[in-house]
Amino acid sequence: MVPLHYYLVVSAILFFVGLLGVLTRRHAIIVLIGVEIMLNAANLNFIAFWRFGPNPDLLLGQLFTLFSIAIAGAEAAVGLALVIAVYRFYKTPDLEKMTSLHE
Amino acid sequence: MIITFSILSAIAVISALLAVRLRNLVHATLTLMAFFVALAGLFILLMAEFLAAVQILVYVGAVGILILFAIMLTQQVTGNVKEHIEAHGALWGLAGATAVLLTLLLPAILKTALPLQPVVETIDPSVRALGLNLMAPYTIALQVIALLLTAALLGAVVIAISPEKSEEEKKS
Amino acid sequence: MTPINPDQLIVQLTQWALSFLDSYPLVAVLVAILLSTVPLIAVFPGCFAITTWLERKGLARIQNRIGPNRTGPLGILQPAADGIKMLLKEDIVPKTSDRLAHFLAPVVLMVPAFTILSVLPFNRNMIPAAVDTGVILFFALGSVSTLAVFMAGWSSRNKYSLLGGMRAIAQMVSYELPLVLSGVTVIMMTGSLDTTKIVAQQQLSEWIQSSNAGLQCLGQIIGWNVFTPWGFAGFLIFFVASLAEINRCPFDLPEADSEIVAGHLTEYSGFKYALFFMSEYVSAFAINGLSTTLFLGGWSGPNIRPPWSDDPNALLIPGFVWFFAKMFALMLVMIWIRGTLPRLRVDHLMGFAWKFLLPLAIMNIFVGGFYYYAPRWHGIPVVGWPIGFLVMYLSYECIGRLNRGPKTAQRVYHYAS
Repeated sequence: MVPLHYYLVVSAILFFVGLLGVLTRRHAIIVLIGVEIMLNAANLNFIAFWRFGPNPDLLLGQLFTLFSIAIAGAEAAVGLALVIAVYRFYKTPDLEKMTSLHE
Repeated sequence: MIITFSILSAIAVISALLAVRLRNLVHATLTLMAFFVALAGLFILLMAEFLAAVQILVYVGAVGILILFAIMLTQQVTGNVKEHIEAHGALWGLAGATAVLLTLLLPAILKTALPLQPVVETIDPSVRALGLNLMAPYTIALQVIALLLTAALLGAVVIAISPEKSEEEKKS
Repeated sequence: MTPINPDQLIVQLTQWALSFLDSYPLVAVLVAILLSTVPLIAVFPGCFAITTWLERKGLARIQNRIGPNRTGPLGILQPAADGIKMLLKEDIVPKTSDRLAHFLAPVVLMVPAFTILSVLPFNRNMIPAAVDTGVILFFALGSVSTLAVFMAGWSSRNKYSLLGGMRAIAQMVSYELPLVLSGVTVIMMTGSLDTTKIVAQQQLSEWIQSSNAGLQCLGQIIGWNVFTPWGFAGFLIFFVASLAEINRCPFDLPEADSEIVAGHLTEYSGFKYALFFMSEYVSAFAINGLSTTLFLGGWSGPNIRPPWSDDPNALLIPGFVWFFAKMFALMLVMIWIRGTLPRLRVDHLMGFAWKFLLPLAIMNIFVGGFYYYAPRWHGIPVVGWPIGFLVMYLSYECIGRLNRGPKTAQRVYHYAS
């Protein structure tokens, strides 16, 4: 059996990768992809803790992950609609060029 | 077990890294799909078959396709980004993310005494129990999620509708 | 020594073969995996070959032609000739194409197409992968094929391919909703996602285990979901949505040859094209197999207990005969539809899924719930059946009428008259 540590380390690395995508890329869609990766890393944590936890019969981790997947779906839909709307206004998906508040 | 785990997690980490680092947006999305599938494999290893199926159904079948649609609507269809891709202060971003990983996440995991073996050796696959839980103790949560999804659907449509075009339609 | 049942012959042979490997558990597992997967990989391409020949012959009959008649008697060797031609053809990859995605697309299409076959119960105790989440696994893996079609269309760097790919995505994502929702009714009534349980629920076990041969036959048929109002409506919705899901006529817009050359298949040739072609047919078989399982009683059909057997579950005709018969019957209906119906327009296609099939499928779920709780007389749904049928018919009429556009004026022909 693989110990719990391993799953958590993988999940931490995945979270790091997602954060990297959010912080270092300037394309709006890649930033959204980074957010999705971070959410998935958190889901992996939930499932791992559910499996190794004291009462897996309660299915708490699975239920939480189910809700989180549903919310991630909603987030992706609204986020991508925002990207498209912003793209129509600025004619660019580049987050660095959306600076009208700053000027 | 450990071999399957290593292969799946290696695929997951590498494809996630490629998804956020590749220059070509469509390639990035395709590697993101590989990441989702690898994660579904990890879920199966953890005996959550139903969630693995849901993961593929929702992420590969819906979210990934949605991202592809967004790319097709915003970029050139080849998916190649011509300008440079790094944000201002990308190095600071790298430093920050690394700091989060090395000072917060990894020490927290490695210093805690965590179980090496699951408490319960085998778990019956229980879609039925999951459904009963959703119907009895978590009904409110389920309803709220349904409301949220409906609101998100309507919101996405309202946001993405182009205002100029609808005026044109009014004129004609 | 257990008595030999005709319908369980293959299962018993497998168990007998595996019993020699009892002392080598690892080898036994490997052999068991091979014994359940190799037949799938062998049988379905064979079915594919037969179906291409049937389709060519059938379409030719509909169009008042003869069809293939040079290779072998009645052109029966045509699939072999086609296969040899495909394999010997040069594999051309466009210079500007995205090579990796172009290469991976047929593979990504083929792997789920074969994998989803493994959750279908072909006979009693004959299911390659008996998983608790069979139906949802089927839909999940089936949704991966959308991605493969997009990869093929995008990586070809050809505007027709890209148009075909985008059409395919839009169509498959839209039609997945009525497909899944009409399946949900069956899952709701069975209370399980397990395909074997869904088949078992459609058999009347008291009648099958009685001594009367007529009752035994009838018990295998009368419980099919298609004979209930929600099952009938669900079956029709499922069938129409499955036509769109596998890009068959009249929903073949992604590869509409008179508009966009061959859609996402334009830049494929040789072996890769053959893979595409085969996986399309295999997924057609898979989805027909699923509609057989969900609505048409799976492997049950008119069947009696062999007179020499005292096992109450034994049957004379193996169940997979009925399974394949029903699957091929659905396939023939698809060929018939292809020969007779014209292709839909894109906006009509989307409107049909979102404005007609989806509300009808949701209505069907309510009717299913009502049917389940309606009072019964000696187990016969005397209230649920007529009222459910009436509600489904009325909603069909109402939604159909609401969808009818404004009446167009009678066209006046200035010169023709």
